[in-house]
Amino acid sequence: MEIKTRRVDNVTILELNGRFDSHTMPPVRDILQKAVLEKPASIVVNLESVNFIDSAALSALVSGMKQSRQADGDLRLCNLQQPVRMIFELTRLDRVFEILSGEDAAIEAFNNQDSTITDQ
Amino acid sequence: MLTNILALQHPHFGAIAQAWLLSKAEAFIVMANGEVLASWPPYADANAITLESDIWVGHSKIGKLCVVGLQGEEAQARLQTQAALIAAIVQSTSVLRDVTTKLIDTQDQLVAIYDLTQAMRKEIDLDKVLKSLLFETVRLVKLGAAFIIIQRSNEPWITHQYPEEMLDTITLKGMLDLVGETEQYLLLSEEDEKGNGLAFRNLLLLPISLHDENQATLGFVNKLDGDFLFPDIKLAQAIADNVGARIENALLHNNRLKQAKMQTEMELAQQVQLNLLPHEMPVVPGVDFWASSCPASQVGGDFYDFLQLDNRPFTFTVGDISGKGMPAAILMAMTRTVIRSNIYDTTLHTPEYIVGRSNEHLYDDFTEVSMFATLFVGQYQPTKKKLLYANAGHSPVVYCPLGGTARLLEADGTAVGILPTSFSENQEIVFVPGDVLVVATDGLSEAYNKEEEMFGYDRLLALVEELAAKSAKDIAAELYRTVNEFSIGTPQFDDQTVMVLKGVPI
Repeated sequence: MEIKTRRVDNVTILELNGRFDSHTMPPVRDILQKAVLEKPASIVVNLESVNFIDSAALSALVSGMKQSRQADGDLRLCNLQQPVRMIFELTRLDRVFEILSGEDAAIEAFNNQDSTITDQ
Repeated sequence: MLTNILALQHPHFGAIAQAWLLSKAEAFIVMANGEVLASWPPYADANAITLESDIWVGHSKIGKLCVVGLQGEEAQARLQTQAALIAAIVQSTSVLRDVTTKLIDTQDQLVAIYDLTQAMRKEIDLDKVLKSLLFETVRLVKLGAAFIIIQRSNEPWITHQYPEEMLDTITLKGMLDLVGETEQYLLLSEEDEKGNGLAFRNLLLLPISLHDENQATLGFVNKLDGDFLFPDIKLAQAIADNVGARIENALLHNNRLKQAKMQTEMELAQQVQLNLLPHEMPVVPGVDFWASSCPASQVGGDFYDFLQLDNRPFTFTVGDISGKGMPAAILMAMTRTVIRSNIYDTTLHTPEYIVGRSNEHLYDDFTEVSMFATLFVGQYQPTKKKLLYANAGHSPVVYCPLGGTARLLEADGTAVGILPTSFSENQEIVFVPGDVLVVATDGLSEAYNKEEEMFGYDRLLALVEELAAKSAKDIAAELYRTVNEFSIGTPQFDDQTVMVLKGVPI
């Protein structure tokens, strides 16, 4: 599986490609473990090119989400394909993750949150 | 030196003496360091010598030839020639002796290497190979002690020494620092600056290159009969070359043993896990019940369970731990126990409570290891003809009422271990004769075929509808068969579990 990472406006963006399962999960988990140490731990995982996700991959995302929230950040998802979206719905993980329709929207959400904090 | 030649070549010296006596000499004498070594006739007077010629070998005078009773240039020249000839013979003999010594040394080394190989070939166990290597090396090279250190990448070092416990770990580590990048050998004695403070008279270190970035160092300590000379170093190198292959073989053998042990432990774990799953199907009034599980690797994270307690509803669960293999199997055993303890509680609890309490108990441990477990807990009370359940992120669960359409019973809460508090609530469905409930795991619905198509929920729903008239066992068997047929030629990626409840008349 191909993994691209970049940083835009203090947000770490992971773009994944292909089958996201127990075999392809370890490098993603390692990247996420480093990303949650950033300040702020703002992460967006773009799943636009992911056609399958299994429970091991979900647990890597859940773990990244839990750790980033502990560091006052978040891990957000965007561009879920229908089969992947269905997995999130069936496992009710759509209740846990903030899922957005586009990468810009996901980054924007972080920026708005930041400005809200500054305003306060 | 001259004495030896005189003893070996006595008849030839005698012939030279006779020739002089025939030429009217009174005596022929061979002397060294002022002493007469031989004379013809015996007991000739050394004080009456009239001619003499020194015998020079290289830059040292090893003796002289003397004649009594003759004088003149001709006789002097003759004596000088004979002295030079004897010097040449002495020199040749010395060269021959050196060559012979070297030859014997080489032969000794060959015998030593042969002995060593013979001693080690009987063993394949690394510890025994190394012990025998060091024992034989100390004996053959005549050493105070010998040691070997094997540095393996990502694994602990192996060290051995003979005699045992002669060197501590710090000293051995110091040796390795000394060897550093040395490619051939490193020879140190107490006089050397580097060797100072080593508390050894002398030390020879040889690096041995092994495969897979492993590296060994062979150390010879305190040569008993003096210093390490060239033949000792040659022998040490020959030993080092020879043991490299032996060590590699033994390491390989060790790895195989370890793998075999792991395999056995894995098989044991599989047995333990299989025993955790109930094999005898329960007899429940109003329900025809069947469940089975098929792990993708030797041990898996799927499980099913049920409990039939007096005066309580029949309670059943299906769970799927994220991930596979040993970590999932350990958490599966843990999850099963927590659920059971909640069902066994003195108070009767509903599925919602069981799921919620289990989540509270397991949340921290699951978070710690970044895993979670989807969970379906159901209860059936024959008198009520209803089925109560709570679904924590589990799918697929298919409900097909008699003559109706099959549909998914979707989860209302997330899997155990994701959130500190569970959202899953009690849900109720009618369960009468002819109704079918299939609680499977995603290994079944997410099986892939060669064209990379997923079996999917639509196929599963249609299949359950089609099979609804059959018995629970047949429905389960047909589900497995159809999915296996669909994914023929592709490996089973995930554990597959199927539990079927079919309503029957009481």
